[in-house]
Amino acid sequence: MLNVLAQTAAGEMVEGLKAIGAGLGYGLAAIGPGIGIGTVVGNAISAMARQPESAGMARTTMFLGIAFTEALALIGFVVFILLLP
Amino acid sequence: MNVLALEFPPVSHLFEWPDIFFSGTAYAINKTVLIYMAAVVITGVIFTLAGRPKQSLVPAGIQHVAESGIDFIEESVVLQTIGPEGRKFMPFLTTMFFFIMFSNIFEVIPGIQFPANSRMAIPITLALVVWVIYNYVGIRSQGFFGYLKNSLFPPGVPVALYLIVTPIELVSTFVVRPFSLAIRLWANMVAGHLLLVTFAVLTQVLWSSTYIGAIGPFAMLVLMTGFEILVSVLQAFIFTILTAVYIGGSMHPSH
Amino acid sequence: MSQRRNRLAAAPLIAVLGLVAFAGPAGASGESVGGCMAEHLAEAVEENHGDLQETLHDEEVQKDLEKCFEAPNPILPETNEIIWGALSFGLLFFFMAKKGFPAVKGAMDARAERIASDLDAAEQAKIDARAVEADYQARLGDAKGEASRLIDEARGAADQLKADLSARAEADIADMRERAAADIESARQQAIADLRAEVAGIALGAAERVVQSSLDAEVQGRLIDAYIDEVAGSNG
Repeated sequence: MLNVLAQTAAGEMVEGLKAIGAGLGYGLAAIGPGIGIGTVVGNAISAMARQPESAGMARTTMFLGIAFTEALALIGFVVFILLLP
Repeated sequence: MNVLALEFPPVSHLFEWPDIFFSGTAYAINKTVLIYMAAVVITGVIFTLAGRPKQSLVPAGIQHVAESGIDFIEESVVLQTIGPEGRKFMPFLTTMFFFIMFSNIFEVIPGIQFPANSRMAIPITLALVVWVIYNYVGIRSQGFFGYLKNSLFPPGVPVALYLIVTPIELVSTFVVRPFSLAIRLWANMVAGHLLLVTFAVLTQVLWSSTYIGAIGPFAMLVLMTGFEILVSVLQAFIFTILTAVYIGGSMHPSH
Repeated sequence: MSQRRNRLAAAPLIAVLGLVAFAGPAGASGESVGGCMAEHLAEAVEENHGDLQETLHDEEVQKDLEKCFEAPNPILPETNEIIWGALSFGLLFFFMAKKGFPAVKGAMDARAERIASDLDAAEQAKIDARAVEADYQARLGDAKGEASRLIDEARGAADQLKADLSARAEADIADMRERAAADIESARQQAIADLRAEVAGIALGAAERVVQSSLDAEVQGRLIDAYIDEVAGSNG
């Protein structure tokens, strides 16, 4: 194992670590927003079901909430893009 | 990049296009620029045709597209976020909505298949324009110091908390907002394009080796193309409504 | 007026912001992709004595060209795209603000107004029609009332006439019956008187024959009257 690591060129090692970091970073960044968007949409749907007459307003607000929550996942995505070779 | 004997093009290959005209100058025209121009032409043609003096009572075709767009922006963007006094921003918001939507929708147009907003140029430009507009509106409707006070020291917060709240508000209102607005649009389009490219490459590779194996990625490709149409329109809507929310927030400081 | 001036002032502000924020980084990231590619390709073609096809298939050259793509960071905007994009959007916004949007929105508002006025007119027409209908209904009701009144009147007249006729007929009958009864009574009286005279004659003759001269005329008369009374009482 050590031999293999030693044989690996330092540059490739760095590349590999970057790739792992990018993947992990995006995966971790997507957890929170995933839960958050689920909460937003679920509550919006129950609000729409309870008061169908105000469904339009609930939908608009839901999209806003999704947009704000999604920003966090997108920042993770940006890091992923920046770290890719 | 080479993953599992699968030749995946480098990310920059998917988004950087060679110059077509004026190559090498700062006015070089590439595919992205052509798509921006196409979006301008399409929007312009739609509104020219829809605004002809000859009008039918029941809107159909192009007239219907333009009118339902305006209606949509008036009903579910302006009136819900700014209120009736936001109608003067309607031309700006309508232009923005149609321009972003048409530059996005080229993502799924066969033969072109590139969302122009996956280049940072338009998102960041529009976001900075929006930044200027909402700050201008805030200063105009509340005065310079009133606007600063209302946005940096939100009412109803205990005095001690201003130590934390004010720096956060300063950064989030004046620095992060335009960038998060731009990045939201940009990253959504980049992600969508990458997704489509991934499934297209997978389909091609699996088709050339095992014919049956291509069914799965191809089905996903079709599904994702449909999904990306939705995302294109949705992101244009979200960009527009966030602009309206920011403008409304600096117009009515109470909330 | 001041609003227009403010709007005009915003334009250079945006332009300056764009230049300050992005001209630097985009310029620093090197020349544009197309320029880089053209430069590399020209060099390679010169090396290969001008054979473009062969040069394009050379792997070294391809790798060289790929470097041009990988140089810029995908998140940084390109100067040319910003310039053309901003220009396109500005042009579109100008067109929309001056012509496209007001035309469509104006047509929509005009149509909404026209539809609203049409609806008002229709409402007015409906109200008018309802008034006319009410009038007609009232007149119809009047006519119906008149007709039933006339029928009632006629029926009343007929009843009256019937009652009159039957009363007169009854009166006639009663009259006739009375007269008949009186006739019968007078006839009976006559008959009784005739009978009395007859019977008196017969009895006188019979008694004359029976008693012959033993009785005088005064006694004879008393006896006969007694007999006749007896006969009349039994006849009743």
